[in-house]
Amino acid sequence: MNAYIQMFFSSWMFMSVFALATMGIVLIFKTSGTTNFAQGSIAALGAYFAATFVTKGWNLWLSLGVSVVVAFAVGVLVDVGLFRRGRSVNVIGKQIITMGIVMILFGVVPMAFGALPMDIPPFAKGNFEFGQFVIPKHYAICALITAGVLAAIFLALRFTKWGLGVRATASNEKVAQMLGVNTKMITAVSWALAAGLGTLAAVMYGSSTVLNPAYMTGVQVNAFLACILGGFATFYGPIAGALLLPVLRNYIAYNTSAWADVIIYTLILLVILFKPNGLFGKKIVKKV
Amino acid sequence: MSVLLKKFKMQPGQSPAPAPKKATPIGKFFRHPYSHFMIFGVLLVLVQVLAMTGVLSAALARSVGVSLIYSIASLGFCLLLGYSGLASLGTAGFMGLGGYMFAYLLAHTPLPFFICVAVSVAALILIGALVGFISLRIEGIYLAIVTLGLSEILVSFFKAFDSFTGGASGVNLKAKDLVFMFGAFELSREVSFFIITAALVGLMIVTANLINSPTGRAMLAMKNSTSAAQAMGISKVKIRLLAFVLATCYAGIAGILYAVYIRSMNPSVWSLSLSLNILAAIILGGARSIWGTLVGAFLVFGINTMFLQDIAFFRDNPNFIMIFIGILIILIVMLYPGGLAQLAKTAWHKIKAWIRKKLAAAKDKKAGAGEGGAE
Repeated sequence: MNAYIQMFFSSWMFMSVFALATMGIVLIFKTSGTTNFAQGSIAALGAYFAATFVTKGWNLWLSLGVSVVVAFAVGVLVDVGLFRRGRSVNVIGKQIITMGIVMILFGVVPMAFGALPMDIPPFAKGNFEFGQFVIPKHYAICALITAGVLAAIFLALRFTKWGLGVRATASNEKVAQMLGVNTKMITAVSWALAAGLGTLAAVMYGSSTVLNPAYMTGVQVNAFLACILGGFATFYGPIAGALLLPVLRNYIAYNTSAWADVIIYTLILLVILFKPNGLFGKKIVKKV
Repeated sequence: MSVLLKKFKMQPGQSPAPAPKKATPIGKFFRHPYSHFMIFGVLLVLVQVLAMTGVLSAALARSVGVSLIYSIASLGFCLLLGYSGLASLGTAGFMGLGGYMFAYLLAHTPLPFFICVAVSVAALILIGALVGFISLRIEGIYLAIVTLGLSEILVSFFKAFDSFTGGASGVNLKAKDLVFMFGAFELSREVSFFIITAALVGLMIVTANLINSPTGRAMLAMKNSTSAAQAMGISKVKIRLLAFVLATCYAGIAGILYAVYIRSMNPSVWSLSLSLNILAAIILGGARSIWGTLVGAFLVFGINTMFLQDIAFFRDNPNFIMIFIGILIILIVMLYPGGLAQLAKTAWHKIKAWIRKKLAAAKDKKAGAGEGGAE
């Protein structure tokens, strides 16, 4: 039993990373109507900025802040430069555009930051220990930041004018526009937020791996799966999925290490088969 | 297309077609609907022959061969996305499954080459039918992500199942296993290239036949409106299953050919980015065109190793190739949603109309001059 509780604590970093990445994907899915395959590579770009600042001797928190701001700018640039112009492009076309962005970033990042591997230090070294449980300080700080950021976003979605605008755009972009919602602004802010959240996640994850342009792809795939596990219909569903995945994975890996991924993906697939709209999904009424 | 041509032939103001000459065997061949594919196949064989004689570099032939393998997978995906409107991100996983299964059978059983291929393809038909059943319940972007999940399952499976796939380090086929026709031929790189060419041309013909058949039309109807197509009496189950079975078979055949041609596979080859690249190839070339798909596959998988590396600028800055292809993809999607095939078709019709006009003008002039001479 204790082992399982310990494993829950050990999942905190991946829970944070997945939750933040998932939030970014959901925001863009809701406002731009596409699954953003560039989420991971934009996040990696942000992490490269952070790593560069850190190697220059900046404080980690300052680097994180500046790189998130840079990511905001990149997100807005992508939206204004590509997606605002490509409104007439169909859903699959939009996905391909995000893939084009992935390719461009895979080329740009090694050119801009050099091909040498870079790394990011953890937020804090050492462990919190209480009783027989150990939580790395980095994990605890990740969880705190994630909880704070996600709480702020959910409150903003629920109570601010921007949140209302996002929900209106998500439910029907054209009607929202007709009723005076500045959908362009809403979409741009969503892209900026998604890029910022991705960067935050990438910096958290960066301390336990070596940066390369594709290092967030695995996180991104898991975030997609979390999205369909929870269902795209709500904002909280995918987050719940993202929090569930790493814990479940650790529990399964504890029993059968090599087959954990196969089992967990199969489980997700089975859930989706029986509940096609996800665990928290709503039935979508189709019109002919 | 043939309807269009007939229309052109019946255009007013044009002299009636001259009495049909007795069809020579060559004329007959060119009028045959498969002739394009045959000529393409002959050209590909020529590429390999020229490479063997040393006129073309072996590296070029190799990158053509690799592009052809991906073209086969793209062709299957073209049936799925372009004709049936089903988005899937599992192509890479299916390719990998085909390749591994074939490699395992070839190395660990005494079965001959073709039986190994047949067994692998049969397994892929089952997988395809399974995905087809899934697609009955899940649609659109969800289907894309579910197939992505399925592909991830397959890749994790490849990594975990050591005895079948060699785990993370992959599997290498040995030359002694790669024999063909009961050991009569060794499957050298050159022979493999010919097999790839034969497979591609064969599958192109199958695809061309399918999309012009009632089934192909039914697929298209199902893509445009599932409900309307069902109301017309088209079976959703049949079409979806068929589309996925075909697409996974094509992908599996591509995987088998990859195993034969490259001879080594590891799980990282069959990643999400391969599926995405195949998707990009389709969209670039035009999702509803056989030739467009081929051009797209060559652009995405071949242009880099075939041409760009010969240009000094790109050779010194390999990252620019990625950026270049990325920008190309975005531009084509935003400006020409029908892909290069549509662009080419529009341009071709314009050129043809222009030539026709010129010819008609010249003929009128000639006719006028002839009449003048008779007087």
